Amino acid sequence: MSLDDRKTANHLTPLSPAFFHILLSLGEGERHGYALKREISRRTGGTLKLGPGMLYGSINKMLALGLIEESDDRPDAHLDDERRRYYRITSYGRKVAQAEAARMRELARLAAATFGAPKHA
Amino acid sequence: MPSTPLALKLYRFLLKLYPAGFRDDYAGPMEREFRDELAESSGGLALAKLWVRLLTDLAVSIPLQFSRELSQDARHTLRLWANRPGQTGFAILALAIGIGANTGVFSVVNALLLRSLPFHGPSHLAAFGTFLPPHHSAREFHEWRKQQGAYLADAALIEQFDVNLGTVQNQVRAHLSYTSWNFFAVLGAQPALGRWFRDGEDAPGENALAVISYGLWQQLFAGDQRALGSTIRVNGKPLTIVGVAPAGFNYPNHSDLWIAADYSPGNNGWQTIARLQPGITWPQARAAFALEADRLWPRRDELGNSEPDPRMTSLQDELAGPVKNASLLLLAAVVLILLIACSNLANLLMARSADRATELSIRSALGASRARIVQQLLTECLLLSFVAAIAGLLVAFWTTSIATKIQPPPLSTQSYSILDGHVLAFAVAAAIASSVFFGALPSLYAGRIHAFGARAAGGSRGARLIRETLVAAQVMLTIILLTASVSVGRAFVSLMKTERGFAAKGLVTVSVSLDGTTRGVAGHQLPYFEQALDRIRRLPGVRSASETEFLPLDATGFVGGPFGFDGRPAKLNSTMIPVLSDYFKTMGGRILYGREFTDAEVRSDAQVVVVNERFAKEFGSAADALEHEVTIGESAPRKIIGVVTGMDYMTDTMDTAHSNQIFIPAHSPGGFVSTFVARVDGRAEDSLPAIRDTIRSVDSQVPVFGVKTMEQRMADAVARPKFYRTAILFFAGFALFLAVIGIYGVVSYAVALRTHEMGVRLALGATPVGLRGKMLWQGLLTVVAGATFGIAGAMLTGRFLESLVVGAKSVDLATLILSFFLIALVASGSIWAGSRRIAQLDILDILRIE
Repeated sequence: MSLDDRKTANHLTPLSPAFFHILLSLGEGERHGYALKREISRRTGGTLKLGPGMLYGSINKMLALGLIEESDDRPDAHLDDERRRYYRITSYGRKVAQAEAARMRELARLAAATFGAPKHA
Repeated sequence: MPSTPLALKLYRFLLKLYPAGFRDDYAGPMEREFRDELAESSGGLALAKLWVRLLTDLAVSIPLQFSRELSQDARHTLRLWANRPGQTGFAILALAIGIGANTGVFSVVNALLLRSLPFHGPSHLAAFGTFLPPHHSAREFHEWRKQQGAYLADAALIEQFDVNLGTVQNQVRAHLSYTSWNFFAVLGAQPALGRWFRDGEDAPGENALAVISYGLWQQLFAGDQRALGSTIRVNGKPLTIVGVAPAGFNYPNHSDLWIAADYSPGNNGWQTIARLQPGITWPQARAAFALEADRLWPRRDELGNSEPDPRMTSLQDELAGPVKNASLLLLAAVVLILLIACSNLANLLMARSADRATELSIRSALGASRARIVQQLLTECLLLSFVAAIAGLLVAFWTTSIATKIQPPPLSTQSYSILDGHVLAFAVAAAIASSVFFGALPSLYAGRIHAFGARAAGGSRGARLIRETLVAAQVMLTIILLTASVSVGRAFVSLMKTERGFAAKGLVTVSVSLDGTTRGVAGHQLPYFEQALDRIRRLPGVRSASETEFLPLDATGFVGGPFGFDGRPAKLNSTMIPVLSDYFKTMGGRILYGREFTDAEVRSDAQVVVVNERFAKEFGSAADALEHEVTIGESAPRKIIGVVTGMDYMTDTMDTAHSNQIFIPAHSPGGFVSTFVARVDGRAEDSLPAIRDTIRSVDSQVPVFGVKTMEQRMADAVARPKFYRTAILFFAGFALFLAVIGIYGVVSYAVALRTHEMGVRLALGATPVGLRGKMLWQGLLTVVAGATFGIAGAMLTGRFLESLVVGAKSVDLATLILSFFLIALVASGSIWAGSRRIAQLDILDILRIE
């Protein structure tokens, strides 16, 4: 099972920036769509702003791929709108994110060997 | 914020543009998010930025989600198809034939009736029928033309001929039109090179001028501008080329060149075209034209001639004339087929949705909304139509290529093309309309499955009524097509049975023209033909050979007149046909009494004739006609030496075999379309090259054309009626096949819906045969209802067919009854087969489910 997961995890890389950032944000805990969007905007210094269509399109696809799942745990009903949906990362999603990170590390290593390590690194 | 409700409404509306599945899942959260964003954006600029971002996001993500869901649905559809290859294949085939035949026939109708003629202001161009303006001299015609200014802007005369073109040593056949000088101006065409004729150039002495077609310019001069001013020989007469027509301009009747007219008193071979005054309507112009016709021939009704009244039609209608109605008839037939195919598929899909009730219920239980399921079903239908439309284009291509052979368009620019914008639009519209038609019904119905459960919905009165109406409609359309095919088929059979007065098998025909050659001079013609015949007769395998100035089946360019018998005039005009010796022997004609001409009689121009039986019988018994005289006007009387069975000169009119025909010895042949005929042993095709080469060897300057066997000519002559017969028969057979499938489908579906009811009835003592009998009875009621309308429709169509296809008779009672019983029988078979499940029902199983 885990071997299979690793295989398919590699098949899914490289991930689109939107997918990767969604996985990163959910790695810290469950979030609803709007919170995800704000978190991603914050993390990327406003360079990646996901519109609702692209955000939920990505979520839809990631749900189908089994990278994330909908969470049934909801905050106190008084604090929340029932129309919000909360998502969390699956263990498979973690593996895919790790595979993507490993791929990026390898790229960074190659780049450093070729062009030299960046000064602030 | 006052703008909130409006903005939210707008966003909600935009969310509806997403595909159903995505909308079901995310419209709520997205709306929630929109509210948050709206609350955080204050000020006009921020709001504007928000909307720009949102709209960009929608523009990208809506197509993306659609492509995702559609590819999901498409994959699902392909899996379903793979599970039911037979049903799917049938559905695609039925639709492909329906869409393809429609597209193909529409491309013909489009080219002939809808697409504008390639002339300036084509809607104002007119053609006259049974009307000739004064035309004995250029002055007479042009004066008349200028007096018609009240309703005509201009008018022109045309006369067409086939001629020999080129030098004495190298002649080819070409189609030529003599025109009044203003012909091109009436059509509003511009020359590709040079100029048109000028005012006064159609006067005697001024008219040795020609305009050549673009094709001829390329062929003879390789597109060289020096063609202007060159000399071209037409029937040996030198003409100066003054202009080249634009590419594709070949009006009338595929003309290769146009020559300034040569008027002569008594020549009635002209056609007239005209352009209406701007601002004049067709009814106004027709009224003015009728007044003019009355003024020119005030007493034409009293002459008792049977010619139709003078008429003015649009040039487009005139050109489409011979094939317009036939094309419309075919279009009607193929539209019926498409309707049947669609109603059939609607039935099939409804039955299939019922079969799939479980699958759809599970999907619905898993959260798929009604919209999502409808979207899935619509995708299936659209995909089916799309595949069928692609396959249909092949059918359409095939249809148009047949049509081009059977009824070629009158102008080269009217070529039938399925790649024409209109035709493609028609195909797409047909595909979408059919998918909506047969996709919408099952989808609506699928919606109800979701709401009430399969059994309740399928068994509902409304759904049943729709199904039965569809079956009745199919039966109706099938009967109309069946009877029409019988009618057209009979017309064809009687056409083939017509006594033609000659034996086509083993007959070779080759035409020549002496116009413009040194052989065309008086006294030189007959020796040429005698020399050629002498050589042909000596060829191995040739039994006999002769020559005629008019070959049977070829109805162009007859001469004749009011011949009489011993001074008594015949009721009908007679056709006069000059022939050489051995003509009837070669043609396989039947000499009833007397004999045919000898070589000596031809050479000496003896005043003898051979008449056909019809002419002889008008004046007593055919046997007694011998030795009497045929008379015409002041000409010397001719002695009747033979009576023969008439020959069929026109295939369009059934009765021409019985028209009056007078055969005379061809003392100076070569003036009309002279054709050698030879009867050979073995296959006529095999003798064609030898006979053609033998004729060429006599004199290479004489153009040889029309090298065909008589059987080929026959096939050409009946190609069009044969095509209609085959097409209508095919459509009727296909309609019957569709009806069988449709009825079978509906009945098996009804049985499936009523399984429980049937089980209970069986438990209560009913027999399977009794139950099936009841279904048969109920099903036949629907069929009878449809058939009743079908018979009424068939009678109406029959009237229409009579006016359309020569020899087609309105269907008789026997045919109607026969087709009624045929469809009832076929329907009974389908119902009985469809209800066979009842016999296999296991009562215990059914009741156990309860």
